[in-house]
Amino acid sequence: MAEELLDKVRDAVEAQIDFDGQRLAELLYTVLLIASGVVAFIYGYATENVYNCLYAGLAGTALTFLVVVPPWPFFNKHPVTWLPSNKLSGGVSIQVDGKKVT
Amino acid sequence: MHSATVRIQNVFGFFTTVATVVAVIIALSAFTSPQAPSASLKLRNVQVAKGRPHYYSVKREEYAHVRFDLDADISSLFNWNTKQVFLYIVATYPSSKASEPPTQAIVWDAILPSALAPWHQNQYIHPHPAPLKNGKRVRTSSPSYSRSKRPGIIKLSNQKPKYQITDHTGLIAKRENATLELRWNVQPWVGPLTWMNRRDYGVWKALKGGLSKPFNFPEVIGAKPADMGTVKGGEGNRGKPA
Repeated sequence: MAEELLDKVRDAVEAQIDFDGQRLAELLYTVLLIASGVVAFIYGYATENVYNCLYAGLAGTALTFLVVVPPWPFFNKHPVTWLPSNKLSGGVSIQVDGKKVT
Repeated sequence: MHSATVRIQNVFGFFTTVATVVAVIIALSAFTSPQAPSASLKLRNVQVAKGRPHYYSVKREEYAHVRFDLDADISSLFNWNTKQVFLYIVATYPSSKASEPPTQAIVWDAILPSALAPWHQNQYIHPHPAPLKNGKRVRTSSPSYSRSKRPGIIKLSNQKPKYQITDHTGLIAKRENATLELRWNVQPWVGPLTWMNRRDYGVWKALKGGLSKPFNFPEVIGAKPADMGTVKGGEGNRGKPA
């Protein structure tokens, strides 16, 4: 009971995503942070206000954290399909070059 | 990237890179903003009197008291990356030995904040122009002195110095060929400090004027000197409001 609960807590904290999701997350934060940097500079330069630049950059960064860090469903669209376990398929079966070893 | 911790670390790590690059671009963008400062600096009066470096000192030194007129427009130094400008006037005169470099001493200074700089008691507050003889107030094209609208315009007439000057010899009377020069140090929000220059660098033009004619320090005044007071900046109040 306690173990199940702890497992759930650990899963929630770890917030794992699948491999395609990891690639997507990396692309997303790169694009978002560069875009927020560019927008922040242009906004600050146009308004001649260095504070606007700072706050725009921080807002873009906060948005990036929000998009990338939680395990959103679109990061888990390609779950890994594992091979069936030994217990179900009955005994260990290892093949080397097409020949059955065990 | 599989877990939340790793994603936080990666996003933060790349954020620091982006922040640094943006800061460098901001610093570089200041060099594309044109600057054309101009100033006229004139010596009004110079007196030399004997005094002591501090109250308990038995050493008597000669101190020069320099009054000046300054009419400066350095508003173009305030680009979007300027936080404040430290403006100061330096008196330069040759040392007694020709082999030694000339002596330089600051006579007056001011911290000019940009419109966005947070208020601080040490910042310079430009005096209002004195009323005319007939009691009418001088009408200026109003925002010229205002810190918020257009900082960097200074009009001072017969200004008292902030500091009386002397040097390590303690003798300043009858020294010859001294000049006053206006200088500054621009302190940006991000990027390098820049100082007054007498050369053009791209759109940053050299300061026009800002150098007084050569003058000689007079003899020591024997009798009690007339008005040799100095003015105090906000920093002279040592943290207490002016």
